[in-house]
Amino acid sequence: MGRIFTLDLEGNVYSCKYCHTHLALFEDILSKVRFLCKHGEAYLFDKVVNVMVGEKEERNMLTGMHTVVDIFCVGCGSIVGWKYEAAHEESQQYKVGKFILERFQVLGPNTWSHDDGSDVED
Amino acid sequence: MGGVEDDEPASKRMKLACRELKGNPNDSLLSEPSFGSSRDLMARLLQSEEDEVIGSKGVIKKVEFVQIIAKALYSLGYKKSGAHLEEESGIPLHSSAVNMFMHQILDGNWGESVATLHSIGLKDESTVKSASFLILEQKFFELLDGGKVMDALKTLRTEIAHLCASSNQLRELSSNLVSFSHGASVGSSNQVNLRAKSRPKLLQELQELLPPTIMVPERRLEQLVEQALTLQRDACVFHNSLDREISLYTDHQCGRDQIPSRTLQVGTNGEVSLKHKLSGHHKPVSSVSWSSDDGKLLTCGVEESVRCWDVSSGECLHVYEKSGPGLVSCGWSPDGKSIFSGVNDRSICMWDLDGKEVENWKGQRTLRISDLEITRDGKQIMSIFKETAILLFDREAKSERVIEEDQTITSFSLSRDNRYLLVNLVGPEIHLWNIDGDINLVAKYKGHKRTRFVIKSCFGGSEQAFVASGSEDSQVYIWHRGSEELIGKLSGHSGSVNCVSWNPVNPHMLASASDDGTIRIWGLNSHLQQHKKLQQVHSNGGSMAAAYNGRT
Repeated sequence: MGRIFTLDLEGNVYSCKYCHTHLALFEDILSKVRFLCKHGEAYLFDKVVNVMVGEKEERNMLTGMHTVVDIFCVGCGSIVGWKYEAAHEESQQYKVGKFILERFQVLGPNTWSHDDGSDVED
Repeated sequence: MGGVEDDEPASKRMKLACRELKGNPNDSLLSEPSFGSSRDLMARLLQSEEDEVIGSKGVIKKVEFVQIIAKALYSLGYKKSGAHLEEESGIPLHSSAVNMFMHQILDGNWGESVATLHSIGLKDESTVKSASFLILEQKFFELLDGGKVMDALKTLRTEIAHLCASSNQLRELSSNLVSFSHGASVGSSNQVNLRAKSRPKLLQELQELLPPTIMVPERRLEQLVEQALTLQRDACVFHNSLDREISLYTDHQCGRDQIPSRTLQVGTNGEVSLKHKLSGHHKPVSSVSWSSDDGKLLTCGVEESVRCWDVSSGECLHVYEKSGPGLVSCGWSPDGKSIFSGVNDRSICMWDLDGKEVENWKGQRTLRISDLEITRDGKQIMSIFKETAILLFDREAKSERVIEEDQTITSFSLSRDNRYLLVNLVGPEIHLWNIDGDINLVAKYKGHKRTRFVIKSCFGGSEQAFVASGSEDSQVYIWHRGSEELIGKLSGHSGSVNCVSWNPVNPHMLASASDDGTIRIWGLNSHLQQHKKLQQVHSNGGSMAAAYNGRT
């Protein structure tokens, strides 16, 4: 197979639980909002690396209709989360261009120590 | 002689004017400003013709056109034709003053030539000064060569001194006087060392000094034709031939048939055959590097070691490794005496052939996935040192330059003339950067596909006029480097094409390596193939096999 191109991150890294490919840094979590999906917690990231994107989809979430693309680890192809391409509601625009990594799919530091009225989403 | 006739006004009037000017060389030229410039005279006479234009676009001035043709005729040695053209068209090549000037130079009438110089119509005082200097310098040297030292000294003092650009110039000329008289006194003057150049040479130098409106520059017509041919050639996006002949009869335009587009061979059965299998690495081989003489090959096992192989025997000559960190890239120094290698602790190190580490550049110099390139003078080392930046450091001058990109860089390659860098980005997109002097982005190439792999691209073709790249859609992409135009998509592979290599000596041959486990050799779509030696192809095809199927 060809040589898979991956970037190495430094710091508190979240990586793919199957092939350990680096995906994101703890510092890049947008901490204001706490996300929940069917497998548990998920974090919203400013920047995610070493992922491939899938087809655009309209998905109805707790917070409304969004256009998302699923993201897959380049190393092994397993799904690790999604990316928000568009939000149909004004209040959800802040998510556009950002990434969600499902806690269940990645290895890395646990977060969520603060409990100051953070919203629960999706 | 008689009267001036209507159908031949210009030439007859010119002849009259010439006689008038020749009759009073010393006073009328300077004392009658209205007739001071013969160019003005000519301008007035030819007013009706001067505005005449020819050609479909109406931008070519007839007078200029005829003059450069006449000049070309003279340059080719066709003096009679040149003179005839001047007469028949009524357009003299040079104004009468210039003609007179030229004769005066060739005859050695220095004083008169300087005087004529002032009446030729030069607007720039410094040109007059420089030209006068050249003439008088010639006078000086000719006097010296003729043994007339006192006259030479007088010329230097009275005529040349005030024209000298610097005191150095004056001193240099004076030194000639000294050495001359010294030589004479020693009595070794039987060997005459002529200092003065030939008069035609002087005339040529003066011609280059004078503006083109006064004297049509030599070979101007050839220059214009060459410009047109160059433009045609540059505009020809498919131009890929070894021969340099372009005909003047029709505009040059190559067809696609000059670009490789047909698979000549799949796998290693054919003109290109498997020479060696180099076993030894335990990790996948990520990069290879040929020595300048093509006699040795370096291979790098990812985060493992670098091995040096003898190309003809296939024997492993040496293994380079560090105790601890693994090596990630390799490159030969152009003199073949040292080896460079990127290390997974981000440093770059240099070994001598025996394996002794001679240098180590610490700090963030390279990444785990990065190419390593060394310029032909051995001075600059290049590698990807940040996600979006390439480091070019001069190990001699100890200076660094950086190429900053707007997206993640996956790989890059250096042009043969070391003046350009082809950078592959995640996009996918390929950027061409000029690194000679100021660093700047020159071109962008798009169209190919990439999501997961390192896809390599390269320069190729005659004068590296093309850029080729692999693509995850199984095709080889070829762009014309100058125009950024995608001119070819080669289909045939059934898996991602990860690497391409254009034969450096045969512009019609290209090799590609794919996830379908094969190498394909591409050539022209014609049955008339030029037979090329295996060695030349091997220096490229072999390198891809090693790198991409993990096989040794």
